[in-house]
Amino acid sequence: MRTYLNRHLQVLFAAIGTFARTPFASLATILIIAITLVLPSILYITLKSGQQIAEGWQGRPQISIFIDTELGAQEAKLIFAELSLHPAIETAEFLTPQQALEEFTALSGMSYELDFLGENPLPASIVAMPDQENSESDSLQALKTELEKIEGIESIRLDLEWTDKFNSLLNTAERTTYLLFALLSAALFLIVGNTIKLLIMNRRDEIEVTKLVGGSNAFVRRPFLYYGFLFGVCGGVCALVLLYFSAIYISPALENLATLYQKETLVYQLNWHELLCIVAFGGALGWIAARLSVARHLRHIKPR
Amino acid sequence: MITLDHVSKIYQNGHQALNDVSFNMAAGEMAFLLGHSGAGKSTLFKLITAIEKPTSGRITVDGKSFDKLRDSQIPALRQEIGVVFQDHKLLYDRTVFDNVALPLIVIGMSHDEIKKRVRAALGKVGLSGKEKVLPVALSGGEQQRVGIARAVINRPNILLADEPTGNLDESLSDEILDIFADFNRVGVTVLIATHDLRQVERLNKRTIELSQGEITGGETIEPTKLS
Repeated sequence: MRTYLNRHLQVLFAAIGTFARTPFASLATILIIAITLVLPSILYITLKSGQQIAEGWQGRPQISIFIDTELGAQEAKLIFAELSLHPAIETAEFLTPQQALEEFTALSGMSYELDFLGENPLPASIVAMPDQENSESDSLQALKTELEKIEGIESIRLDLEWTDKFNSLLNTAERTTYLLFALLSAALFLIVGNTIKLLIMNRRDEIEVTKLVGGSNAFVRRPFLYYGFLFGVCGGVCALVLLYFSAIYISPALENLATLYQKETLVYQLNWHELLCIVAFGGALGWIAARLSVARHLRHIKPR
Repeated sequence: MITLDHVSKIYQNGHQALNDVSFNMAAGEMAFLLGHSGAGKSTLFKLITAIEKPTSGRITVDGKSFDKLRDSQIPALRQEIGVVFQDHKLLYDRTVFDNVALPLIVIGMSHDEIKKRVRAALGKVGLSGKEKVLPVALSGGEQQRVGIARAVINRPNILLADEPTGNLDESLSDEILDIFADFNRVGVTVLIATHDLRQVERLNKRTIELSQGEITGGETIEPTKLS
């Protein structure tokens, strides 16, 4: 067991030594792998951020219910109480005409024009969120029809279309991310495979001599597997560094956006598990690519 | 120790390198394989080291019949055979130590043991203190000694040498051949391909003569053939 470990350690250090002897070529390959890993990672973060925003709405549409302006405050609150108890509605928030005006003024910046009107034209309103069962398009329409029958309700507006569009966009982004991930993984595969092929060609004499003195295929193959693995792992680590600097560059703009959406942050933070996954994925893909490349090219080399 | 029984070898391009070659070498024997370029000496060595497979005939080396030899068993067979080449086949970007240590690294020997063995082997071939030198800094004779040290470091039962003195002057040739004779004295079976008849006469060992892929003579060479 100790001999086995010693052999692997010797090969690992020899592989690191080879990296050190050709720093620029190795670094170039590692950076290409890193960039190949960063692109889908950024898309993944974007996707997760979008999903995080959608989760903020609990993935459910809002129902805006406008009360008849002829009704007094007490009657409007009675309607609110009735809606709050409705089994299909999970949460409801009452907005007085004054609160609605303040919110509208803040968002529109039209205070002067509203002052010119003299009186508040906005009705009292209720912002309700249906429960999960009633969040689908059909059941939501049925709920709307049911609520419209309540006396004192002027109109009801659903923001279903907008959330549908957003969810559809997220689904498209998800598929695009996975597709890009697969394509760039294939690219990474080819990059490592080709690099290993060049290494094999450069070390042809050494491979021949090693086989002549009794080196088994496993012995000859081992350093190249380590190269592939190390290329992948180093590429993964570099990808994390690139992601970190990308986040530093983008974060001021995103923080600004988050403020507008009244959120602390919009960007999905990768957890340790996901960070390790990027490095492990790079290492595993590098190892498999090296294994296939070695199997393909090594069998053509035999002692002369 | 080495037996070839009606062995022929025809390469894919149709060239017949060996034709119905049969001979036997006992354990601890030393012999010279004589023949001009293209006689089939190198092909014979490639067959004995399982680099090539015979087109027909049977080969047995160190008790192992090649008929039953699987590809996975070839490395273990080669670990039993030390081979010295005319062109040395050294790794020129590695030190003398790394070159000589290679067969021991292959079998997974510990670093301390490798150090001891490499020092001892280099001492035997007169290259003590040259461990850290690159082969390009050595003379042709010294490079050949590095090749010999690498061939014997694993204490093989069989030592094959393909024109080991081809590029060396007389005195260096004598030194190199004496090293092979020393190994033979301790029981190693030695087969040397050469066309240096002076060495054959000097060491007075068995000969196997090859010409155009066929054995044309053998046993101890007659003085009249020497020029």
